[in-house]
Amino acid sequence: MKRSSTRASSTAPVEVDKPDIGHESETETPWVVLVWNDPINLMSYVTFVLQKLFGYSLEKAQGMMLDVHEKGRAVVSSGSKEKAELDVFRLHEHGLWATMQQD
Amino acid sequence: MFGFRRTIQAKGPDRFVVNLGEEERSVLRAVCEDVVAALDDDANPLLRRVFPVGHASDPEIEAQYRALVHSDLLRTRREILTRVGESAFDAELDRATLDKWMIGINTVRLVLGTRLDVIENHMPEIDHDDPDLPAWALYEFLGWLLEMVIQALSGTAPTAGR
Repeated sequence: MKRSSTRASSTAPVEVDKPDIGHESETETPWVVLVWNDPINLMSYVTFVLQKLFGYSLEKAQGMMLDVHEKGRAVVSSGSKEKAELDVFRLHEHGLWATMQQD
Repeated sequence: MFGFRRTIQAKGPDRFVVNLGEEERSVLRAVCEDVVAALDDDANPLLRRVFPVGHASDPEIEAQYRALVHSDLLRTRREILTRVGESAFDAELDRATLDKWMIGINTVRLVLGTRLDVIENHMPEIDHDDPDLPAWALYEFLGWLLEMVIQALSGTAPTAGR
């Protein structure tokens, strides 16, 4: 995936724990879902998708979008592993580059 | 702007009038059909942005994730693009269909942007004889159309009549 060279160092996906698909996770540690910067998705699109999927206010969604844009990534949701997996899937359905990791 | 008619004009919470010309509608239908055809080849590198890597650092976990969700992502993507192509000439759309337009147009942009190797958030300077000029023009058109769809869906466009 091509990105701006100035942001390349800050946009690499990080190591995540192995998903335990099909089994209930007993872990207490919450999982976080990250959205990563990319040069193709429009800023307005990222903002709107975050509002649509998570019910965030325009202000909150725009703040997350700007973090993605300026810092290379932002945490957009958190919770159980099952919730994080679903959120990643829904973000991928909308073409956003999302990953999950244990906080 | 001299025109006062919105490209996508909300006429109510579930009714949107589409003010596009025949040529623009033809282009939209054609690019949707192109990407639907491209989806048949899963290994096509132009699709890598359409199916983002969820676990890039661990190929094994990524393979598990893909095995779990990829067929669903592929199926819904194909359904959405097919629906957008079918409705490209509709005078009015409901919200659910306009939402498919949003995802579908964005999908085409992801493929086209990958093909053009987009690395910045703005269009680069292109020579008038650059062979990629038509593709860049298409990319810009789809970006503009997507903005119009998002404005209509998010209610930032006025709902007053034309």
